[in-house]
Formats: sequence, C-alpha cells, structure tokens
Amino acid sequence: MTETNTRTITISPVTRIEGHAKITIQLDAAGNVADTQFHVVEFRGFEKFCEGRFFAEMPQITSRICGICPVSHLLASAKACDAVLGAAIPRPAKLLRELMHMGQLTQSHALSFFHLSAPDLLLGYDADPAIRNVVGLIQQHPEIAIKGVRLRKYGQEVIKLVGGRKIHPDFPVPGGVNKALTVAERDEMRKGLPEAFAQTKFALDLLKKYQDAHRDEVETFASFDSNYMGLVQPDGALEHYDGNLRFCGADGKIVEDQIPPDNYLDVIAEATEPWSYLKFPFIKRLGYPAGMYRVGPLARLNLASKISTPQANAALREWKAGNPVRRSSFYYHWARLIEILYTLERIQELLDDPDICSTDIMVSGRPENGQGVGVIEAPRGTLFHHYWVDGTGRIEKVNLIVATGHNNLAMNRSVLSVAKKYVKGNQLQEGMLNRVEAAIRCYDPCLSCSTHAVGQMPLHVQLVAPDGQVLDELARG
Amino acid sequence: MKNDSHQAAAADFLVIGYGNTLRSDDGVGVKVAEAVEALHLSGVVVLACHQLTPELAELVSAARAVVFVDAAADASTEVELRQLAPADGAQLMAHAADPRSLLAFAQQLFGRCPPAWWLTIPVENLGFGDDLSPVAQRGFEKAMQEIKALCSS
Repeated sequence: MTETNTRTITISPVTRIEGHAKITIQLDAAGNVADTQFHVVEFRGFEKFCEGRFFAEMPQITSRICGICPVSHLLASAKACDAVLGAAIPRPAKLLRELMHMGQLTQSHALSFFHLSAPDLLLGYDADPAIRNVVGLIQQHPEIAIKGVRLRKYGQEVIKLVGGRKIHPDFPVPGGVNKALTVAERDEMRKGLPEAFAQTKFALDLLKKYQDAHRDEVETFASFDSNYMGLVQPDGALEHYDGNLRFCGADGKIVEDQIPPDNYLDVIAEATEPWSYLKFPFIKRLGYPAGMYRVGPLARLNLASKISTPQANAALREWKAGNPVRRSSFYYHWARLIEILYTLERIQELLDDPDICSTDIMVSGRPENGQGVGVIEAPRGTLFHHYWVDGTGRIEKVNLIVATGHNNLAMNRSVLSVAKKYVKGNQLQEGMLNRVEAAIRCYDPCLSCSTHAVGQMPLHVQLVAPDGQVLDELARG
Repeated sequence: MKNDSHQAAAADFLVIGYGNTLRSDDGVGVKVAEAVEALHLSGVVVLACHQLTPELAELVSAARAVVFVDAAADASTEVELRQLAPADGAQLMAHAADPRSLLAFAQQLFGRCPPAWWLTIPVENLGFGDDLSPVAQRGFEKAMQEIKALCSS
C-alpha cells in the first residue's frame, strides 16, 4: 500500500528465528501504522534441484534443507517414497519412525521456548537487545538455560539412539527404516525421561506465571480470527506422525474433517506475492486471502478433540478452558510446552511397546505409483512432500509445503496486529520493534526450510519515504 | 544420559566440523571432520554437524582442547587457524554461527572453556551440489595438515 507522505520502517533481519527475513512497517501521514509486510528474501531452490534425482535419494537430499529440523523432512520424504513404492511399512518401522519424530518435536520445541522465546519473557521486551537473547538468559538465569540445553539434548539423544546420528540421520528409508532398536538403546532413553518431564513441567509453571502476570498482553497479543489446519487421529485426538487432515474455522467449528493427506490439493492452493519468496497457501473454497489458516502447536491444540496421553490431555483441557479456540498468537508458547509433555508421554508408550525392538523393519519393492505424498506434523506445523516420478523412479517434479509457508499469511496478520498496537509516531524504540519481531517468533518460523535455502542478510533497518528516499537507517550487529 | 562415543573426556582433543554438505564448498568442514575420524587418531574425538547448537557446550567444556572447522565466511583466500577466546554473542543457531559464543556458553554454563581454535577454509562455490571446488579441495588438504599438527602438539 502506498500513500503520499507515508513512511516505511523496515526491521531487517528478524532476530532469533531460523533463517532471515525483514519486516516493513508503513506509516500514514499521522504516524499510525497503515500496513505491514513480512518479507522473506532468501531464494528458493530445492524443488528444482531435486528434479532428475532417483526418488530414494530424496530423504537424504531434503533433510539437508535445514540443520534444525532435518528429521521432519526425512520422515515426510520417506512417507512420500513409501507411497511411490506402494508399500505398507512394517508396524515396528512405523513405531521407530514415530519415536524419532517424538525426539525431534521435543528438541525443537525446547529450543524454541528456552532459547528463542524465553529471553523476552524473562528479561523483558524492553531490555537492552545486547542481553535480550540466550546469552543474557545464561547470565541472569543460568539454571533455566541449563534446563533448556538438557531438555533439547534429551530430544537429540532420542534421535541419535533411534537413528544412529543426531544430525542428518539416514535411518528412515523407502519401505521402512534401516536400523532396529537394541534393548540397551531403549533402556537408555527410558533413563532420561524423568529429568525431561521435570524440565518440561518447570517450563510450564514458568510460562503460566508469566501469563497470569501479563493477562491482558497475552490475550491480545497478535490475536485475530483465522482458520486452522492439522492432522488428527480417527477419533479427533492430537496426531503428529500419521492421521488425516482437519480444518476448523475461527469459531472452532470443523469445516473439513478426515481428509486423506494425499488429497491435500483438493483443499488447499498456493498464491504468490511479488514482495516475498514464500508462497501463500490458503483454503481453496474460501479463496485468497480469506482462506488464510494457521498451523503448528496453536492450530493442533485448537483442532484436537483430546490428547491420547493423560498428562498432556489434562494440560489441553486447562489450555482450552472452555474456549472454542485460542486466538492470541501468544498461546503458541503454551501449546508448544503441552506438546513436549505429550511427546515425552508418547516416547514412554512407544518404548513400552513389545514391537519396539523388533527386527522386522523394512519391505522392499519397485516404484508402483507415478506420485507419492508424505505428510507429517513437524514442530512448526504441517509438512507436505509431494513427488512425481517417471517410470524409472526419477523425480519429475517436487512440491514442498512447509509449516512456515502455511503460516505466511497469518504471520503477516500478526505483524500488522502488533505493529498497530505498539508502533507509534516518529519514535523507533527498540522495545516496540522487538514486540513486532516477537509476533513472528510465536510461530517459530524456519525460513531456511520455507525457502529451502541457506543464506544470511546483514542487519539493516531503513526508514523509507514513498518516493524511495531513505529517511533514516539503523544497523545491528 | 550415558557418555557415548562422541562424548569428549578431559584428555580428548575435540574436532568439530560443520556446514551444509549439499551446498558444495559449505560442506568442507564436515568433510574435514569425516576425514579426521577416518584416521582414528588416539585421543581425538570428532563431531560432524550441520551447525553449532547450544547443547554442544557441555561436550566442549569437557574436552582437553577443541578446534572448529568451517568454510570461511569472508573472502579469505588462505586457510586460517586462529586461536579463540569466549565471546558473548547471539549468533549460535544461525547458519553463520560463531564458535566463540559456544565457548562462552561452555564457560558460563559448565564452568570451563578449553583452549580453542577456529580453522577456516577458503571457498568459491556455495551453490547446490556435493562436490568441492578446486579452491576448497586445496584448503581441505591444508586443513588436514593443520589438524594433524594440532592434535599431536
């Protein structure tokens, strides 16, 4: 949106998220926020890069999109490859893949809460940016920083014990997995559970105290109506590895339910905008941009009728507190911690399953289908891998929709909502800008995944007039 | 959790090579780490990873000494081996993470920071691919000599 005598404030890059982006805030002549844009400026590449590759290479290729969530891409890719094979993988293989996935969710959510979001909550949004980060957290709350490191480490160790490596494990393969779990490895994971539970409950108490002390801010922070999308079990329970798609509206009413993930293109489409490299997914029958929806922990808990494990289910009831949905983006943080509670309970269930150490872990075969779709709930939200292959199994086309892409429109709405409340007049105060960034951090976006790229932008804040004249510039770091 | 084969003991020299192996020369640090591991040097523990993350701080704090190996982020044309001191900074999970932040974590959280070096290797191709350019390949060979000398000192 351009108007005469408007000014543009740009925050570049958004700190403490994975990958890089910038935020442009456009003020009107009166100094009020008129519009905002959350820019992703990294280039896209993996989808083209994969064309011509043999489909079975895809798990290893796509897992290198990002070093923070390689497991999510590995698993979604392996599922897509299973579909190309036309294979039903053995039950023990499915249990092991889900076990790895639970480790991934644990470590990713722990990173998001303790290292990326906790500095704001514990040090304050208006704290000096030099210390309002994980380093400041370590200096002022070392006991909390250590809990975060250890909880994340537990998740990483689960991944390593199941798959053999913490980063880029090659463990899920088309048709199953390539490593069985030993009894010693199973028992090692069991030993770490009590401490992990204690750290998670500590974090839940910490967050609830913050929310109680900042009730108004929590309820209104980037709060707006949206639709929601996620996977659920056949009985509507929270689900991360398998399940079908469910959509609900801003009033919590289910609008589409038990959609097989293979049929996702019947329900969602993607738009593009000239000012961002991210695509903008939306619900087809609601159109663009009305069909905007959110994914991730907030969406999953809004969609779930229940959680299948007892402690997390009790926490879900407390989170919902009779509300049809939670609208405020701040509730992402609480939802993330409830999900860690679920993943730990689910890890316990999986380790107790009599098939978890079985050696029946793989089926083999030839590509039977010309395309395959693999969908899981990654830490940040629903992840789609869709491959089209030729008769020899070579990739002809790839479509990847990552969680941060689904949330693109919602992140823009969040930035606008927060900027309207906190950005005023001619004062570019650090605290107001940090709150705008904090709105993005609620979604824990991974921009390297979203644009399938690696890159870094120097930090640069620009105040730009509609005619392009740079009115002011700031640099950080 | 029990110590595994990658848990450094106080007598161990820790080599951490990191980068993205599908971004051509960006993976040179990982390739160096894998080559060092294949040498089975006594008293040396090797870790190859995509990027530096906070939980590595405990491992670092327990090592006798540590060397970080990465593609050079600047336009350097020579392999450089720099001794490092801990330094507070926010860039730990980003793709261009600074190992000095990890050293600071090790000191602040676990009470110890070992002698540390940063070995950076010049690169010329960061596009998609899994091969090293001639520049990075020469740097790889030089880096291996530097690490063998460090480990034996």
